[in-house]
Amino acid sequence: MVDKSMTDTNTILSAHTIEEIDAWLKRFPEDKKKSAVLAALRAAQHQNKGYLTTELMDAVADYLDLSKIEVYEVASFYSMFELNPVARHNVAVCTNVCCMLMGSDTIVNHLENKLGIKLGESTADGRIYLKMEEECLAACAGGPMMQVNHKYYTDLTPDKVDEIIDGLE
Amino acid sequence: MGGVIMRLLKHYIKSFLFLELIKGAMITGRYLFAKKITVQYPEEKTPMSPRFRGLHAQRRYANGEERCIACKLCEAVCPALAITIDVTERDDGTRRTSRYDIDLFKCIYCGFCEEACPVDAIVETHIFEYHFENRGENIMTKDKLLAVGDKYEEQIAACKAADAKYR
Amino acid sequence: MSEDLVKFTVNGQELEAPKGSMLIQATDAAGISIPRFCYHKKLSVAANCRMCLVEVEKAPKPMPACATPIMDGMVVHTKSPKAIAAQKSVMEFLLINHPLDCPICDQGGECELQDISMGFGGDISQYTDEKRVVFDKDIGPLISTELTRCIQCTRCIRFGEEIAGMRELGATDRGDRMVIGTYIEKSVDSEMSGNVIDICPVGALTAKPSRFSARAWELIEHPSIAPHDSVGSNIFVHTQRGKVTRVVPRDNEAINEVWISDRDRFSYQGIYAPDRMTQPMIKQDGEWIAATWDDALQKAVEGINAQGRDQAAAWISPNATLEEHYLMQKLLRGMGSGNVDHRLRQTDFSDQDAAPVMPWLGQRIEDLENVNAALLVGSNVRKAQPLIAHRLRKAVINHDAKVSFVNPREFDWHFPVFAECASSASGMLEDLAAIAKAAGTDAASVATIVNAATVTETHQQIADSLKQSDKAIVLIGDMAQQHPQLAVIRKLADAIAKATNSVLGYIPEANSAAGWLAGTVPHRGPAGSAAAVKGLNVAEMQANPAKALITFNIEPEFDVANPAQALDTARQVGFVVAISSYLSANMKDYADVILPLAMFTETSGTYVNAEGFWQSFNGVSTAEGNSRPGWKILRVLGNLFDLEGFDYISSQDVKDELKQQCQDIQLNNSVECTAVVSIEKSAASLQRVGDVPLYAIDTLVRRSAPLQKTRDAMHDCVRINSKQAELSGVVDSDKVKVNQNNGHAYLSLVIDDGIPDGCVWISAGVQATSSLGENFGPIELEKV
Repeated sequence: MVDKSMTDTNTILSAHTIEEIDAWLKRFPEDKKKSAVLAALRAAQHQNKGYLTTELMDAVADYLDLSKIEVYEVASFYSMFELNPVARHNVAVCTNVCCMLMGSDTIVNHLENKLGIKLGESTADGRIYLKMEEECLAACAGGPMMQVNHKYYTDLTPDKVDEIIDGLE
Repeated sequence: MGGVIMRLLKHYIKSFLFLELIKGAMITGRYLFAKKITVQYPEEKTPMSPRFRGLHAQRRYANGEERCIACKLCEAVCPALAITIDVTERDDGTRRTSRYDIDLFKCIYCGFCEEACPVDAIVETHIFEYHFENRGENIMTKDKLLAVGDKYEEQIAACKAADAKYR
Repeated sequence: MSEDLVKFTVNGQELEAPKGSMLIQATDAAGISIPRFCYHKKLSVAANCRMCLVEVEKAPKPMPACATPIMDGMVVHTKSPKAIAAQKSVMEFLLINHPLDCPICDQGGECELQDISMGFGGDISQYTDEKRVVFDKDIGPLISTELTRCIQCTRCIRFGEEIAGMRELGATDRGDRMVIGTYIEKSVDSEMSGNVIDICPVGALTAKPSRFSARAWELIEHPSIAPHDSVGSNIFVHTQRGKVTRVVPRDNEAINEVWISDRDRFSYQGIYAPDRMTQPMIKQDGEWIAATWDDALQKAVEGINAQGRDQAAAWISPNATLEEHYLMQKLLRGMGSGNVDHRLRQTDFSDQDAAPVMPWLGQRIEDLENVNAALLVGSNVRKAQPLIAHRLRKAVINHDAKVSFVNPREFDWHFPVFAECASSASGMLEDLAAIAKAAGTDAASVATIVNAATVTETHQQIADSLKQSDKAIVLIGDMAQQHPQLAVIRKLADAIAKATNSVLGYIPEANSAAGWLAGTVPHRGPAGSAAAVKGLNVAEMQANPAKALITFNIEPEFDVANPAQALDTARQVGFVVAISSYLSANMKDYADVILPLAMFTETSGTYVNAEGFWQSFNGVSTAEGNSRPGWKILRVLGNLFDLEGFDYISSQDVKDELKQQCQDIQLNNSVECTAVVSIEKSAASLQRVGDVPLYAIDTLVRRSAPLQKTRDAMHDCVRINSKQAELSGVVDSDKVKVNQNNGHAYLSLVIDDGIPDGCVWISAGVQATSSLGENFGPIELEKV
């Protein structure tokens, strides 16, 4: 039995992730490591097929000298962090007021029918993940809109959605 | 002077003619032939209000689960301190009584326990004919209360339903 | 009027308050009630429940009283229609998701939400949708969670961060899905975690051990004093039908503020342990039989007389009351023996004549939070004395006090530590000598070892931190008092304190301060007077076992420095009278008469805390079975031995008699002994270091089932660092065999890099290690 968390942070966080966290840490005062938690979690999520595990969050907490629960709080609060395994492509349709008025419901229905899954689920082939309740992404002028991985697609119609989705490998 | 003579005279005539006796006999006679109101207990019984407060019972839900959640409000409200409850956590994590005793020697049948109960578990039934032969029988234990409840559930439910609209 | 005070008006009443203080503080002080949930006077302001909204003139919206600083000329209305409307709206929102399960909620009857909803709640709910439900995680054996009831005031989170010093609870997710909890299945391990039960305004966090055992209105509240540490926390004992149902803190700013440790809160669970003694018992022809008090006492007296009463000895628990200590020494000295000791875990008695009359903290507990620098020697103060640690933590957090440690290992601290030296028993002395050297001491008695010391940067920093601060303290902790060279520690600590102009203090164990005052030490009578007959100390009593022994509320296999030897001694003694609350298998073996002792809630008495403050308390619960208060047992024994002066009517009489003698005592910790000392180094390659863990310190906590299930009670293991594991060839072992003196034990192995090289950390006071010897000494590890 080994006491304390003898597990080495570096074995969980990849070199690239650590490099990125370090880059962010340089932007903040030394005693304010906490400020880098969002960036660190994003890097960690990238490293792990788009979702965070408890081990990853613990590793981030260790790396930034935070208590674990502080990292859990941040990760569970922000919608861009996934805490369960998800498919390769993250498709997030904005369902906030402006997009809803412009017909985001139609887009969501179309996607759900097309892929045979509900919001918050991934397709069985591990290709598409429909994000639950995406909040406003500040592209209201182009509603309805969605974000696929890191790219915005605006002025959506069912046809346009088909084209975008079919274009994903 | 004349008034005294008249009074004596009236009294004399009344006594002579047995008027008072006849008056009394008429009352007796009237009741002799009037419709009787005596109830032939125990063959006959008087009607009871749904709010009648007799012997206590504990009820169950339709699925057989006991209603009582051991909140102890009845114990707190009881003015005669007749109720004693011990609480325990049942294996499934629910709050239940491990002991629920009502001392019928102390109970004054005020019905406050029934009023206080948030889950309609403790009720007072229409049973009023009971007796004890030995000391100790005056304690209504949880098992006894539940047994009464199981036996008279139909009647209890009917009374509750009858009274519901006034609550 | 001071310039720092500002004038303002609340409900037409003119008030004054310090500038910058919050409205709610001023109204609380003036007795104007404002409803609140998230505000707590000991925690930071969160202003997230919005219950304390009040109307402030010229402000466009109602303002939260907890987060509105008072300004000059402010006009506030707490009961205006606008304020009441705001409070009622907030109440309605809070109740939307609160379940209607008050009848089964342990908080029912003492719930802030219930109380305030009586004042501000509506008659009916307008909310008809489904209420939210939270599925709970198990957060350990002490706290029961029902987070569906939570109103997200975050008091528990702030407690963890600001008071306990470890963030264990947090608020995960957001909006209506926000949940307070640990996120992962994890126990809350703080040694003060129980306080979240008190600060939770609803029934979301309740006490697990007393779950569903009583409603608030049927409990009777009795003031009392906690027995386990030398803080003497003020507590309320809640009883139901004469039995203790729970323990909660009683506010006393000077001692425990509003907190108590988990040990003080949950130890009561041991009172009703299955092995509790309820009947006097005597051994007759090798068989134990229940006896009447008369017979048992008679047999005890006859037995001791037969063995020669002037040869009798007594071991008394340091957590006995002042009265019990006093009567015990009076009994022994009346019989013509001086063999009485309460320092059961001490091993070095060489300078006992120079020891202070009462080793004390050196200052008031309250003043600890004002120190600028502190050096603690041999103390895991966080676990041993959680509330003293809390004061020190306040000093660190509030004004960056520099707290350093010289310990036999590194511990987990809940505040930033300035410097920490961790080394073996002799290494601790070398560290201290180096600090003394860095401080520039000129004490003659330690000159040799100080001169030989090598000063590292850490030592220099510690010495400087003490020197440069105007309020510095040097504290001698429990592990130092168990150290094989306590005399040297004492002298070095004194030298450091004098050279750095610091206060020298002790962190005494439980009620041992009372033991010193009452005279349960062999060389001194009550109030530090010289003993007429100088008796044997606890170590000497083991070297030359007496013919008759009285044990008072102890189990030698757990409570004495060398458990194996102590148990052997008890077995060798011709006649043993055990005055005990519990019956153990070992006790049946060595004792001849067992007298059942009432617990601290069942007797009246006095505890003397670390600052020398006498706190008396009354018996509040019914003594189990036929057990009797200790002072009464000792008084009757005194009568039966035909001794003078045992005619007390109450425990108050006993206390008054001793108080009379203690009037002129001047507390002084400084060491006057000038004998030259040296460091004894053991030749063995492996040294045991250890402590007595917080949930093993006395008979009562050892029997508190919920405390024994906590992580802090997991001590049946060996801890060594990875380097030492390699050297000893046990890296891959899960279990090892440990040999010390003539005893051995099989213990699980934990690699812990906080343990110094050449050391093995093994805790005492637990069953698994009771076959071993002292906490400090040579030891061997064997692979199994």
